[in-house]
Formats: sequence, structure tokens, C-alpha cells
Amino acid sequence: MRAVETRRPSTSPRRAPEAARPGARVRRLRPLVPYGLLAPSLLVLAAVLGYPLYRLVVLSFQQYGLRELFAGTEGRFIGFQNYQSILSDSFFWTVVARTVVFAAVCVGLTMSLGTLVALLLRRLGKGMRLLVTAGLVAAWATPVLTAIAVWQWMFDFEFGVVNWLLTRLGVGDFVNHNWFDRPLEGFTVIILVVVWGALPFVAITLYAGLTQVPAELEEAARVDGGGAWQVFWKVTFPMLKPIFMLLTVLSTIWDFKVFTQIWVMLNQRPGRDYYLLGIWSYSESFGVSNYGKGATIAVVMVALLMVLTSVYVRQMLRTVEA
Amino acid sequence: MRGSTRRRATRLLLNAAALLLFAVTIFPIYWMVATGFKRGVDILSFEPKWLPFPATLDNYRTAIGKPFFTTDVVNSMIVVAVTVLVSLGLAFLAALAAARFHFSGRKALVVMLIVVQMVPLEALIIPIYLMLDGAGQTDKLTGIIVTYMTFVLPFTIWTLRGFIINIPMELEEAAMVDGCTRAGAFRRILFPLVAPGLVATAVFSFILVWNDYLIAYVLLQSPEKQTLGIWLASFTTNHGTDWGGVMAGSTLYAIPVVIFFLLVQRRVVSGLTAGAVKG
Amino acid sequence: MSRRLRISAILAFAMALLLAACGGDEPSGSGGQQAQTGPRTLTIWLMEGSAPPQVIEAVNADFKTAHPNDTVKVQLQQWSNVTTKLDAAFAGSSPPDIMELGNTLVSKYGAAGALQDLSASKAQFENNATWLQSLTESCTVDGKLVCAPYLAGSRAVIYRKSMFAKAGITQTPTSLAELQTAADKLMQTFASDKRFSAFYFPGKYWYAALPFIWDHGGDIAKQEGDQWRGTLDSPEAQQGLTELKKLVDCCSKADKSGDEAKQDQAFAQGHIAMIVANGWEKGVILDPKTGNPKLENDLAAFPLPSRNAGQTAPVFLGGSDLGIATKSKNQDLALDWVKLLAGQKFQTQMATVGGVIPNSTTLLTLHQDDPYLSVFDSTAKNSRFTPTSPNWANVEAANILPDMLVSIFTERASIADATKQASEQITTTLNTGS
Repeated sequence: MRAVETRRPSTSPRRAPEAARPGARVRRLRPLVPYGLLAPSLLVLAAVLGYPLYRLVVLSFQQYGLRELFAGTEGRFIGFQNYQSILSDSFFWTVVARTVVFAAVCVGLTMSLGTLVALLLRRLGKGMRLLVTAGLVAAWATPVLTAIAVWQWMFDFEFGVVNWLLTRLGVGDFVNHNWFDRPLEGFTVIILVVVWGALPFVAITLYAGLTQVPAELEEAARVDGGGAWQVFWKVTFPMLKPIFMLLTVLSTIWDFKVFTQIWVMLNQRPGRDYYLLGIWSYSESFGVSNYGKGATIAVVMVALLMVLTSVYVRQMLRTVEA
Repeated sequence: MRGSTRRRATRLLLNAAALLLFAVTIFPIYWMVATGFKRGVDILSFEPKWLPFPATLDNYRTAIGKPFFTTDVVNSMIVVAVTVLVSLGLAFLAALAAARFHFSGRKALVVMLIVVQMVPLEALIIPIYLMLDGAGQTDKLTGIIVTYMTFVLPFTIWTLRGFIINIPMELEEAAMVDGCTRAGAFRRILFPLVAPGLVATAVFSFILVWNDYLIAYVLLQSPEKQTLGIWLASFTTNHGTDWGGVMAGSTLYAIPVVIFFLLVQRRVVSGLTAGAVKG
Repeated sequence: MSRRLRISAILAFAMALLLAACGGDEPSGSGGQQAQTGPRTLTIWLMEGSAPPQVIEAVNADFKTAHPNDTVKVQLQQWSNVTTKLDAAFAGSSPPDIMELGNTLVSKYGAAGALQDLSASKAQFENNATWLQSLTESCTVDGKLVCAPYLAGSRAVIYRKSMFAKAGITQTPTSLAELQTAADKLMQTFASDKRFSAFYFPGKYWYAALPFIWDHGGDIAKQEGDQWRGTLDSPEAQQGLTELKKLVDCCSKADKSGDEAKQDQAFAQGHIAMIVANGWEKGVILDPKTGNPKLENDLAAFPLPSRNAGQTAPVFLGGSDLGIATKSKNQDLALDWVKLLAGQKFQTQMATVGGVIPNSTTLLTLHQDDPYLSVFDSTAKNSRFTPTSPNWANVEAANILPDMLVSIFTERASIADATKQASEQITTTLNTGS
């Protein structure tokens, strides 16, 4: 099933067979079939997700705390006050910047390292490739909670193997080094966990994509005198581009929303220096019971993501029309 | 022979890089499995013990011996299986609609599917809880299944739509010319070709549900209704963390996922490329 | 019209499928919507690790004899993220009838109307006249009693007798100055051990920092009329923190940015002479798997001394209370159960079997023959509590105190600056919404 070549043809070929089909009744029914197919999914989504999403947006315009929650009353409508207070809060901008940088670093590392690994996989012999793939799959299959537990243990203050190793290697005195004392170091560990878990999927997918790149094209380019780097950029990468874009956008969305890794690694009590948008939203809602503000942060987060991925989304929409 | 020496050197370099990569990916997992077999005194030692000898099964005994462990396993299995299967079925139908039919609202649907994936799920916990509470579905596996389904559906529909779009309509049309109904064409031609995509999305749904802790923690209350995510979190108490137990527990927790992966891995890869190249 | 019929049929079929999937093949019977007459179910949430299982079973057995037709379901909850779970549960239509709440959380939920007012029933509780002061305080919101004291835990210094002997310390310190001297001596004696801590103090351990602040006359916050004002920047509080920092600088190799969760396991490793700990932490130190059972006879405790010789520093009284949900449909039943667990018979068992501090001062004599537990009981008598504001839980959730301590110990801020910032944050947080 090679889908590399064609883009969807226009819909005219489809009309012809229909007109020839018997059954006027069927033809009248047809416009409603898609709705019927969509109905169950949309029902579930509307029921369980629709109302909470609506509630979330409404909450962002309200003053809503524990008392309202327990009594089941409506919050006090305060218009755009939540939004105003957030946008004028310098902490908000710090958190946004931090979230964007964090996501950018994660995505950048994942995609670049993933590409390198994919290229490596292509050049390896069968045995080695199997070994590396096995390692990647093992890392990919590890549940997030497990991964966090292990990495936390490896970087433990007193008994962590990383501290021991670094001291032994002479990198410095890492005895009793707390990696989460300084946010820069702490985020390094967290990014390690995130990338470690995300890399396999990207690498394996890109590798699969690479196998579909016809070797002849690359050969031709090399014969024409292109260096390895040029061959990659001019021939290989353009063919990989669709997968690459898709993975980048997915990674962006997922890395922007990172919550568990930070929350659990810092023992459910991250300091303010570790706040990303998702964490801040949660802590406003469940930490200090300011549900209105928490909802506002969540809404802003979604809006931000929409802006960041807008180019890709617009591209996607163009294909829907086609 | 300069050429072959260089080739050998490159090969050596590549293999070295591969080994390094393997070591980096596999070491945390090795460390987890090994720690699960270590005695307490070897775990909490300032000098790391690289090999878990003398080994002990104590940690595993503690992990399995936790109250309701088997119930947790059964619950997790049920929840995952039902969520994955039902959402796959519903999503396939919806993806068919989104990919093969023209209807008003199609564009809005696609946008909605993407945007919904951007919402931080933790922000929705309370509204979802309140809704389930109104339906009497808190502390019920069905309640949590439905919740997981809504988290899984958007991505699944969106991905499957991508797969279906990639499959040329000519194949179905050929079948229909041969006398197949539209539904028959879907079943006999399209479905097998989308199978890798189904597998790929099944894997993602599996991971999402299996990974979850917070949703299950909030929505489930009775000890008979807990899932394994909560069981894993129980190794850390305010009396300190039982690291041996955590590692043993984590190993056990990861096994079903690894098995599932090994079974479907090849299909996933082929499925991802076939569907994803289109973008 | 047959077309419309067919569409509705398809949609109905799809819906039916969905509902069938969601249909209750689950055995129902989780607590909540029961009729007021006939057999009732009481749902109780207790925190894991608080009570010995045999005590709870005994309570349920007694309850059964009094209420043979009713069932009791006790569900153990984990501490992490418990506030999220409580928020959701109280917001729902059928929260558990009885909740065990950490005493610092009660104010928040009580003020939000989640807990039943028990003021009228107070007299029905055994020993209610001699309830521990701090616990009762934690149960009082707006002058109303919203829960019953359940159990308490206080802190003292657990130490290694052999290490003290080796350092030539013959008497446990009875003043802060003596504590400092003892710590210095220990550090000298064990100077060859790079990892040795005479007084192991993790940076975020704010429960153990409070005694120093209180002992020197400072406090976390003061209530002035309707408003609260953070007072950690007062000279007295700063003085207390200075003394603590001296101890930490000279004699603690603990993680200055870490918390006390692992201190017992670290203690069991054998490179620590003293820790500030709860009574039950001894059990963790001696745990056969993660601790060192051989230390059994080497452990003893003494109260954290005051700067005034002969007195003890006021300690933070941790603990739990039992509250009844306002939305509970079995108020009377719940009250009976709580009265049992908070009553004479089972509080005695909690003290003797569970080793916790019971809720009544009259029962504190239960441990008097136990040289170890009696130390903790005595410190409970000189105990204090955090500000009884409904917003206090938010101060904890925002980690204001731990962060302040960390910046002091890591010297990222001077004591003056750190306390000033923390005080401002506390003032803002405590006064939100008022």
C-alpha cells in the first residue's frame, strides 16, 4: 500500500458510479449516513467532554471557589477579570515563556535525535538494528509512572546512581547532589525523561518512513556529486516531510501539555520555578481552590496551542476541502 | 585498501553509536528490574550495586501481596480492553464519515478534533466528576471507561481518518462495480487495509489508559474498583517510599504494555507510515 | 416516512449499543443513595497508615452490635493528591458519610460548608471536656465544631544512644545551647565520616522548623480583627530561624532542598545521630526491609529543648479529625460511628496498639510506662497549631514555608529577605476572599 505518490484526486470520479446505482431511496438516504456514522462518537464526546468543556469556559468568567463547588451554586460572574488579572501578572508571562521554551526544547531534541536515530537504523546491519529497535520499543512501552519512578530513583539525592557515577568519573562532587534544587538542572532531568519516552515513537516512525524513500533517488543525487548532508536535505527530507510535520505537531501538543512528569517527579509539590501552564492551572484549581482562575489558565493554554499549531492546522484544512 | 578500511571504520563507529543508544535506552529499564530483585540494604546503599545478587523475591511478594492487587489487575484489564475496543469501533465509523463523505460541518469536525486534543485533561476533572456523579457513574468502571473513551476518541478518529483518506477509493469502487454494496466494500476492502492504522491507534489508546493515575484516583473510590495506576502510587506513603516495592511494582506494571507492544509492533510501524505520509 | 424511520433506527441502534456498553453489568452497591428506612450503608474514608486495621475492625464490630441491619464500608485513601479527591467527593451528590481529614485541612473544608456542624452533639462525645486543645482548635470553624478530634502526632528528637555515648554526652540536652554543644561534639567525634550528620535536618521540613520560631516568641501569622498578617519576619521569628540555621550549617548533611519523607531510611543507614521525628517514625527506622532492625535498642528520644533551660520548645501537633459530610444521608448513623472511634475504648486502643497520641489528655497516661512514647506525649502537652484560617490549606499548597526555608538554608536569600517575602505571601493568601 504505497501512499507516497498520490494526493487525493477530486471527487468527480465518485459521482459517476452513484448516478448509475439503482435505488432512489438509497440516494436520498445517503446524505444522512455520515451523520449516522458520526453519531455514536459525537454522542460520547458531546456527553462527557462537551459539557465539561463548556463548563470550563464558563468558569473562566466566574469567581468560583470551594463554597460554590460544594453548594452546587453558580459562581459569581466577573466578566474578563480573571483574564485581565492573568495577563497583567508578570508571573503569567514567565510561565508562558517557560512552557514554550520547555516544549521547544523537548520537541527539538525529540525530532532531531529521532531523525538521527532513524538514519542510524537505516545504516545498521540487521542484528544491530534489531538490538537498537528492541531497546527503543522497551523504552516506548514503559508506562509514564514507571519511567518517572525509575528516573527519580536514578537521580536520587542520597542513593542515586547518577550522582555516584558522575563523582566517580570525576565530573565533580555530586555526592548528595539534589538535582531539583536548581530549576535548570531539574528541568534537564525532566526533559530527559520526556525525550527518553518520546524518542522511540518518533525514531521508529521516521525509520519506517525512510524505508519508503526510494534508494535510487538518493543514489542518483550522490552520483550527481552531492555530499551526505546535501543528499539528506535535498532528497530524503522532502519525502519525509509529511510524517515529520505530523510528528512535530503532535509532539508540540503533547509536550506543551506535560503535567505528570513534573508533578510526580517533584512529589506532587513543584515549586513555582517549575510551573508550566498545565501545572499552574491545576494548582490554582486544586491547590488554592480558585477554580475560575484555573479554568482561565487552561483556556489560555488551549488558545496558545491553537496559535502555535495554526499553520499546520490550516494546511490540514486545505486537504479537507480537496 | 583505503575504501574498505574507511568502510570498516564507519561500520565500527555506527555500531558503537548503536550500542551507546541501546545502553542509554535500556539502562533505566535494567536498573528498574534489577532494583526489584535487590534486598533493601542493597537498594539503600551509597555504593550502587550493579548486579542484583543476592537476589530476593521479597519486593515482588510485597507488590503482589498488596490488598486488592488481583482485583486491580482485573479492573485495569477490563477498563483497557473495553475502552480500546469500543472507542476503536466508534472511531472507525466516525473516521469513515469524515474521510469518505461530504457533509456540512466536515471542516468544523476536523478542527474540533484537533482542538480538543489541546485541552489539558486535568482541567476537566471536576466538571467530568460532577457530570458522572449526576449520572450515578462515579466509583463505577463504566464511568471511567466512558471518560477514557472521550480522551481517546479525538486522536483515534483523526488518525484513522488520515489512514482512510490514503486508501484509494478506486479499490472500493472496483468492488462496488463488481456488485458489492457500499457497506460491503467498507467491510471487505477498506477494513483490512486500515488494520495497521487500527492497531496503531489501539496502541495509543492502550498507553493513555494504562498510564493514567489522576483520573482513576478521583473517579474511583471503593478499594474493589481501583486500577493498577493507583496501586503503583500506593508504594509511596507519608512514611517514606518503598523503593524495592516501587521498582518491582513498576516492572509488573510495565509487562502487559511490553507484551502488547511486542505483539503489534510490526503492524504499528507499517500502519504509521502508510497513514502518516499523507500528513 | 420510511426514510426517517430508517435513520432513526440506525441512530437508535447506535445509541442502544452505547447504552448497552454502559449498562450496569456492574454489581451496584457503592454507598450513597439508600432509602432512609431499611438497611443503610455507611461509607467511611480513612487515610492509609493512620489506624491499625484491628482497631477499625473492632470499631465496626461494636457498631454492628448496635446497628445490626446496617453495613459499614471503610475505604482507605492515599495522602497524595487527596485534596483533589476530597474536592470532587464533597462536590458530588453522595460524598462519604465520614471523612478522616488532616487537621490542617479541616478549616478549608469546614468554611466551605462541607462538614456537618457538630456543636450540638459535642456533649455526646466521651472525654470531650479533655480533648487536646490543638485538635479541638483545628475542628473549630467560625465558632462551630465541625469535626471530632481523632488522633495526634507530635515530634521530638530521636537519637542514637551509642553515638551519644561515644561522643561523651551523658545527658540529653535540656536547652538549645546544650543541643548545639552536643551536636558540635558529635560532629567532632565522627569527623572522619564525611556523610555524618549530628542533627539531620532536610531543608523543607517546616514542621520541625516551627518549634524554633515559636520558642523564640515568633509565629506564622497573627489575626488582627478580620484580617491575618504574616509575622515570620518579626525579629523573634528571625532569631529562631538563625539558631536553626546554625545547627543546619554545622551539623546536617541532609538535602537542603529536600523534604523529610526519606529521613527515616537515611537514619537507618547509620550516619545520623539525631533527627526531629514523629513517634511512629521509629517503626520505619526499624523496618526489616527498608530500615535497620538492629537499631532497636539504640534508639531513644528527648523533647526538643527550649532556649530556656529546663523547658521544651512548643511543637507542631499534627493529627487527624473525623468529620461528617453535610450531604450525608445518614447523619445519625455517622455520628454513632464517630462517637465510637473517638470514644474512650477505641482511643485507648489507638494509643496502645497504634502508638499514636489519643485525642484526650486523660489518656496520655497510657504511655507513661513507655520511656519512648511518653516523650512524645509530653511534647503534645506543649503543642501549637497553624493559623486557623480557612485559607491556611492554600498556604500549604503554595509551599510558602518550605520554599522560604530552602532559600534560607541554601543561602539564596538572607533570613530577613526570605521571611519578609514569605510573610507577604502568607498575608495575601490568608486574606483572599475576605
